[in-house]
Amino acid sequence: MKKWLFNPFVYIAGARALVVGCIVMLLTAVIGFYSHTHFDGVIDLHFGKVSPLSYHLLEQLIDWACIVIVFFIAGKIFSRSSIRFVDVAGTLAFARWVLVFPTLIGFAINAPATLPHDTNEILKLVTPAMICYGLVSLVFIIWMIALMYNAFTISCNLKGGKATGVFIAALLAAEILSKIAIHFLYHDIPGIYEKNIIGAHLAN
Amino acid sequence: MQKNLPHICPSCAATLKVKSLVCEKCHTEVNGVFGLPLLASLTTQEQDFIIDFVKSSGSLKIMAQKLGLSYPTVRNLLDDIIQKIETNQTNQKTGTK
Repeated sequence: MKKWLFNPFVYIAGARALVVGCIVMLLTAVIGFYSHTHFDGVIDLHFGKVSPLSYHLLEQLIDWACIVIVFFIAGKIFSRSSIRFVDVAGTLAFARWVLVFPTLIGFAINAPATLPHDTNEILKLVTPAMICYGLVSLVFIIWMIALMYNAFTISCNLKGGKATGVFIAALLAAEILSKIAIHFLYHDIPGIYEKNIIGAHLAN
Repeated sequence: MQKNLPHICPSCAATLKVKSLVCEKCHTEVNGVFGLPLLASLTTQEQDFIIDFVKSSGSLKIMAQKLGLSYPTVRNLLDDIIQKIETNQTNQKTGTK
C-alpha cells in the first residue's frame, strides 16, 4: 500500500502513466477552474484568482512541461542508463494526481481574487480555518514532491546523494522556468485577463 | 537448504578460486586452480533475473510483464546487474574484491 501511495512507478510507467497523468491533469484543471485554485509554478498553489479555464489548463501544461524538460535533460546528463522520454513524461504526469485534493480544498476557501493593499485587510483574511486549509494543502504538495522524486529516480535510474542533489537542483530550475512561463501567460495579454476577472465577478 | 557459492575470501576479501572438483559418481577428484565464472559472483535473485531475461529473448517489455513491474524498474534492475558484473570483471582482473 505504501509503495502504491509513494512509489507507484515501480508498477506503472511509460505510456500508461502518461495517459492516467494527462486525465488527472485535465481533471485538476477543470476542478481548479470551479474552485479558483491555481498551480502557478511547478510546486506552487494559490487560491482565489478568477481566470478562464484555458489558463488553468495552460498552467497544468506549463508546470508539467517545465519539469519534464528539466528532469529529462538532468537525467540525460547524470544517468548512466538509457532513459526514455516517455518514462520521464509519464511518471511525472502521474505524480501530479495528488493535486486533485487541494483543488477540492479550494471550494472551502473564500479567498479574494486580488490581495488588498492594506496590511490590516490582508491580516483579516488570515483566519484559523484559512491556516488549516493552507497546511492541509501543503501536505499534498509535499506528497507530490515525494512522488516526483520517486518518478525521477525510477525513470532516470539515479540513486542516493546524487539523485537527491540533482533532483533539488532540477526542481529549482523547473520552478524558475515555470514561473517565467506563467508570468508571460498572465502578463502578455493583460486585457483578456482583466476582462475575464470582471466577467467572472459579474457572473458570480 | 540451498547453499550460496562463496566467491570472496572472508579473510582478505580477494576473489576466491576453485581448488578441487569431484565426480559424485566415481569420486574422481580434479585438483588445480580454476577461476569462478562471472555469473557465480551474483546473488541467486540476480542469476534468476538473467535466466528469465535470456528466456524472454532479451525483451525488457516481456520481463516487465512477467514480473508485474514497470519498464524502467526492470531496466534499472538490469543496469544494476551490468554495473555489478563490470565491477566484478575489473576486480577479477586486478585480483581484489
